[in-house]
Amino acid sequence: MDSLSASEQRELQSRMERKQMKEFMGMFSGLVTHCFDSCVDDFTTKSLVQRETGCVTRCVKKFMAGSERIGTRFQEQQAQMMNQPPPGR
Amino acid sequence: MSGMFGFGRPQPSSSEKIAAAEQEMDLITDMFNKLQQACMKKCIPKTYLEGEVNKGEGVCIDRCTAKFFDVQMKVSELLQAEAAAKGGAQGGGFGIGGM
Repeated sequence: MDSLSASEQRELQSRMERKQMKEFMGMFSGLVTHCFDSCVDDFTTKSLVQRETGCVTRCVKKFMAGSERIGTRFQEQQAQMMNQPPPGR
Repeated sequence: MSGMFGFGRPQPSSSEKIAAAEQEMDLITDMFNKLQQACMKKCIPKTYLEGEVNKGEGVCIDRCTAKFFDVQMKVSELLQAEAAAKGGAQGGGFGIGGM
């Protein structure tokens, strides 16, 4: 990316920001679906009961912790791949 | 770094360069999302009795990530071999593993 000019950098930057926003919205809705699915299956009450609230809290927390860990490993792998190209090339 | 995929076309235009960078970003984001979906599904039980990733789950995530990349490499390798066997000279066009 070092060969991009300043205006190109800016253009790319703004595209990336829009992309990140979209990415975040996708993550959010996916997480809502997942935690709702995992935690809520009792419809005898109108609002979340304590057990469900707790489950949702843990679900989100765990998702964050898990994706952080995956992110770390992902970066490590990515760095490793760049240092040693795969065989057959 | 000069673009992780080394798109080495001579004198690409401005929009081409931006598109290439963007595509690279998309590919990496997509890969990460796939990895995350796969390993969360396999390693994190849906019961949510605790909010932390426990030791076993953490180790599972580590191994899952490593294996996911292994599979990626293997598939890329096999596809390249296939393409090379079939098309001879013009194989290796899809270098996901070639970062």
